[in-house]
Amino acid sequence: MALLEVDDLRTYFTSRRGDVKAVDGISLAVERGKTLGIVGESGCGKSVTALSIMGLLAPNARVVSGSVRFEGRDLTELSDRELEDIRGRQIAMIFQDPMTSLNPTLTIGLQLTETMRRHLDMSRDEARKRAIELLEEVHIPNARARLDDYPHRYSGGMRQRVMIAMALSCSPKLLIADEPTTALDVTVQAGILDLLEELRDEHEMSMIIITHDMGVVAESADDIAVMYAGQIVEQTNAEELFDHPEHPYTEALLGALPQVEDENVRQGRLTAIPGRPPDLVDLPDACRFAPRCPYASRNDSCTAKMPELRELRPGHLVRTAHPASERQGAPVPAAAP
Amino acid sequence: MVLNPQNEELRELTVGREREDGSFEAGAAINQTSLWRDAARRFAHNRAALVAMFAFLLMLAYVVIVPFVVPYDPNAVNFDIAYVNPTWTHPFGTDEFGRDLFLRTALGGRISIGIGFAGTVAIMVVGILYGAISGFVGGWLDNAMMRFLDALYGLPYLPFAIITLAIFGTVNFWTMVIALTIASWFTTARVMRGQIITLKENDYVRAARAVGARWHRVLFRHLLPNTLGVVLVFVFLELPGVVLGEAFLSFLGLGINPPQSSWGSLAQDGYTQYLSHPYIIVIPSVAIAWLILSAFFIADGLRDALDPRTESAA
Repeated sequence: MALLEVDDLRTYFTSRRGDVKAVDGISLAVERGKTLGIVGESGCGKSVTALSIMGLLAPNARVVSGSVRFEGRDLTELSDRELEDIRGRQIAMIFQDPMTSLNPTLTIGLQLTETMRRHLDMSRDEARKRAIELLEEVHIPNARARLDDYPHRYSGGMRQRVMIAMALSCSPKLLIADEPTTALDVTVQAGILDLLEELRDEHEMSMIIITHDMGVVAESADDIAVMYAGQIVEQTNAEELFDHPEHPYTEALLGALPQVEDENVRQGRLTAIPGRPPDLVDLPDACRFAPRCPYASRNDSCTAKMPELRELRPGHLVRTAHPASERQGAPVPAAAP
Repeated sequence: MVLNPQNEELRELTVGREREDGSFEAGAAINQTSLWRDAARRFAHNRAALVAMFAFLLMLAYVVIVPFVVPYDPNAVNFDIAYVNPTWTHPFGTDEFGRDLFLRTALGGRISIGIGFAGTVAIMVVGILYGAISGFVGGWLDNAMMRFLDALYGLPYLPFAIITLAIFGTVNFWTMVIALTIASWFTTARVMRGQIITLKENDYVRAARAVGARWHRVLFRHLLPNTLGVVLVFVFLELPGVVLGEAFLSFLGLGINPPQSSWGSLAQDGYTQYLSHPYIIVIPSVAIAWLILSAFFIADGLRDALDPRTESAA
């Protein structure tokens, strides 16, 4: 049994125009000690998936159906109180913007020890000692002295390290990192990713990394799920995904990556995906990527009926009528943006 | 940026020199300031606020100290010295019963300012609790609490206080405080609700909840301490309102009973003779204006000082 099993999860937001289907029937599994990457562009439901797992949805969002099984327990059926005991202790989360994720009026030490004293029943002194160890573990120099500093005296990268230390303080079994490097300088990003990987192995955690950056998951994920408009469109292990991408959207995402090595590509412009994602309130029964898909023609079956998520090869799921390995001839060129 | 002598990376970046004992001396002094020290610095650069603060403290000193040093009995009647104009022995003159006004103004100030502070504290407690609960819980409760507040807002301020006093049946220091509090806690509650709702959306609140913090932790650790600046400003905005409200009620004869007096009742004593002995009404009026103006300027200075975006004072 996997550590976390999400089955047919649907999370909708209430709005004046109707339900916004932010997450619309996704199934995931995170194995013990492995990292799952969830990739997709803004608004595709990555973060809402994470918040649904954590039970931290905004008041106007609700889990409509599906289950989130963590060690066999369905988190969607737990009370708030039971969830609070799991959050931080069993499942921890780090957020995108480290500059605003720490309370400016409390010292780093206080915010770090707070979690441990809450979940582990530690005394003040024990928690302080552990907090220093944690800061050292995330490579904050001179941790003892920095413990009583306020957040404004930490840089962005250091704050993200503190957030990681805080998330790890109770040795959770699962760490969800929602765009952990997006708000950071490029030079700091690699360091944070390395740190996450190092700590995952050390603490024998599982991890979910949510990102829009294929480069991030390439580096750190074992399995990857590509999301588009609230659904999973392709899911397989990292190697397979990068070597044999099947879904046109995945191909387009990989094509949009800057290629530094290739002199010819470097001269040209980055490839963008034409069009926009669909309106999540009013979705037709069709492939959601069809309007932007270079392979879908007007009277295709995929514009009249939603393709199922099918297992193209063992362990390689894809939701499209036009996977790369079934295409014949040259692809229809994408419309110019 | 933070410079730490033990931090290797930063040591290279600073223009500085090693001391003989191996410790490190940065080339330029780096001020490590906190929000509050920053605010204090900005406040100190605001001349109007500083003068107001001085005036405010001077008034406090006057009402606290004078009754201990002036040798007269505040309530002793002596018609021989009635209506004495201000002189060295009676700096503010005497009233129709020959009572020293320098002393009675100070004693009246004790009551006026005392009611002012007690009322402000009560308004803060009620307003913060009400606003924080409303904003924190949200949903239908928030809606119900705010509509109730809207209804109260419609009631005129002073008649509301007068009716409350009538219900109590007696007027003394504490019934006055309660009546004025009941009539004027609404704005604080509204502002607090707004503050809490804004703060609730902060990432660090979500982050705290993501590590399992319960509601009381979130409210008392992460939300309320962040409203302290606004609360401080509101203390100095509400204080003049309460003082003025008390003065108004006392002037109408609905306030503190004689022989006790407040600034309002002192002014009322004087208004029948404002042509022959104008100082009797002018002195308590000036005292009221003095306190209110200085409090407003302090509130203004605090607001500027606590908002890092205002650069005018710095």
